[in-house]
Amino acid sequence: MTAELVVVLIMAAALFAIGIYGALSQTNLVMIMMGVELILAAALLNLVAFWRYLHPGAMAGQMFVLIVMTVMAVEMAVGFGIAVARFRARGSVEVEEARELGG
Amino acid sequence: MIADPGQILFLTFFGAAAVWFGVVVFRTRSMVRSAIALLFSQTAVGAMFLVMQAEFLGVLQIMMMASEMSIMAIFMVMFMMDPGGLGAMEMTHQKRLSLKAGGTGFVLALAVILLGGWGAAVQEVPEAAVQTAALGRELLGRSMFIFESAGLTILTAMIAATMVAIAPHGEDEA
Amino acid sequence: MTIVAILAALIAGAWLLAAVESWVTHGRFSLTRPLIAALALAGRESIVPRKSDRLFFEAAPVLLLVAGLLAAAVIPLAPGLIIVDLATGALFVNAALAYVLVALIMAGWGPDGAYAMIGGWRFLGQFVGYSMLIVMPITAVAMRAESLSTLRIVASQAALWNIAYQPLGFVLFVAAALALSWLPPFDLPAAAGDLAGGVETEYTGVRLLILRLARMIIVLVLAAAVTIFYLGGWLGPWLPGWAWSGLKTVVVAVGMLTLGRRLPRIREARFLELCWKLGVPLALVNILFVGVIALVVPT
Repeated sequence: MTAELVVVLIMAAALFAIGIYGALSQTNLVMIMMGVELILAAALLNLVAFWRYLHPGAMAGQMFVLIVMTVMAVEMAVGFGIAVARFRARGSVEVEEARELGG
Repeated sequence: MIADPGQILFLTFFGAAAVWFGVVVFRTRSMVRSAIALLFSQTAVGAMFLVMQAEFLGVLQIMMMASEMSIMAIFMVMFMMDPGGLGAMEMTHQKRLSLKAGGTGFVLALAVILLGGWGAAVQEVPEAAVQTAALGRELLGRSMFIFESAGLTILTAMIAATMVAIAPHGEDEA
Repeated sequence: MTIVAILAALIAGAWLLAAVESWVTHGRFSLTRPLIAALALAGRESIVPRKSDRLFFEAAPVLLLVAGLLAAAVIPLAPGLIIVDLATGALFVNAALAYVLVALIMAGWGPDGAYAMIGGWRFLGQFVGYSMLIVMPITAVAMRAESLSTLRIVASQAALWNIAYQPLGFVLFVAAALALSWLPPFDLPAAAGDLAGGVETEYTGVRLLILRLARMIIVLVLAAAVTIFYLGGWLGPWLPGWAWSGLKTVVVAVGMLTLGRRLPRIREARFLELCWKLGVPLALVNILFVGVIALVVPT
């Protein structure tokens, strides 16, 4: 077993768990996005660790990291766009007050 | 397997920092503090990339997160009733469920990590300049289509986000 | 050894620039004046505002200083006279200087004062404008050097300095550097006469001293970056390399400190408009131009 890889994976799992907790427990849209960012950071960490310790020759691993970073940026942009629209319409971005979206 | 003790030490240190700041994000009442804590958590992740000798990605992560999280901070201030955290507002719901979900996720991941046979770690890695060049060749060669679609995704997201966020006609004047 | 040399150069440069800045603002050049001002600041009471976010308030000036010093670590004064030659040095300068934004937001939010906070958020708005204009000209420079290492970027200009090769990039980068170090005409975050000092309003004593020193170091590092990316770094006849680097850096820094003062301060919205509607297309043209030359002209 490889100690470095396991250390990184455990740290990533901890970040993932915190992210899940945050995304589920917060009532504010922006705080929920923070949870999602943590989850994505955990994913990034896993990708880099697998690239480094298992396949350092395969640059596709690094490319995948760039794609996930893109996803993070896109998530931020779209999330904030929705937040602005929501705030304009209802004066709040609390998800508890968005019951009507449940259908 | 011979592991590099220095690398493990630094990985543990920065990993612990990332996790600690991650916890602070949801523990502090001040929203700006929470955004800055997330920033330092992400920076610690970037530092772990540097320890893992992925220099370009580490520097990129450290650079991108500074701006992303600062922008997050201003949106917090804009949209929260109490960004300074002075009023001790309750801002969570379904705490128990979330804790359970997070805990289950952690335990499951831990089980996979510890039980999985990862094989031997490769110790040698291409040096940073070679790596960056190879990454460029990968992006503009074999993976060009994927890379381009990522660019297109960003463009779409930019247009969509602007469309959604833009004020209905005449509302923002004056 | 190298670290000591670079740090000494930074401190000497910051001292000189402080003298120049006081010359520009007060009209009298004196080398002792910055020293006296620094001593006075160090001896003065350092007040902590009521209900401040103490952690942010204390950390912000230090973070600003660290950001400047980290950026200085990849700046070469001469071949071999560099603290660490990163393979991604040009990107690292940018990454380290991104923390200027974080430090200013912390400095604005920390003291719980209206002027400071407006100053901090104004800098965020300014960042949205200038950040692209830092990255895209560096891209064009790296394209010519075929490397992100600062040493190789300088070496690539042996035949022709980048200021002649890509003048458009030079203009954009200097403008962005002025905005990054919040110098006039882009001094919205500090805006004397408008925000009463902006982010600096609530700082006094030693903390203000650190803040001012960090700002001078950032101006110096940016001038050094301009020198490396566009003015051929240590390249030049007769004098030794480090002297050329130092000379060019000081000239660029003095230019940055003086020229902008002749222009009126630019409004936030106008600045964003200029950056995104004029600056970004020009930067793209610059990249295209450099790419075409790289393909057409054999090296």
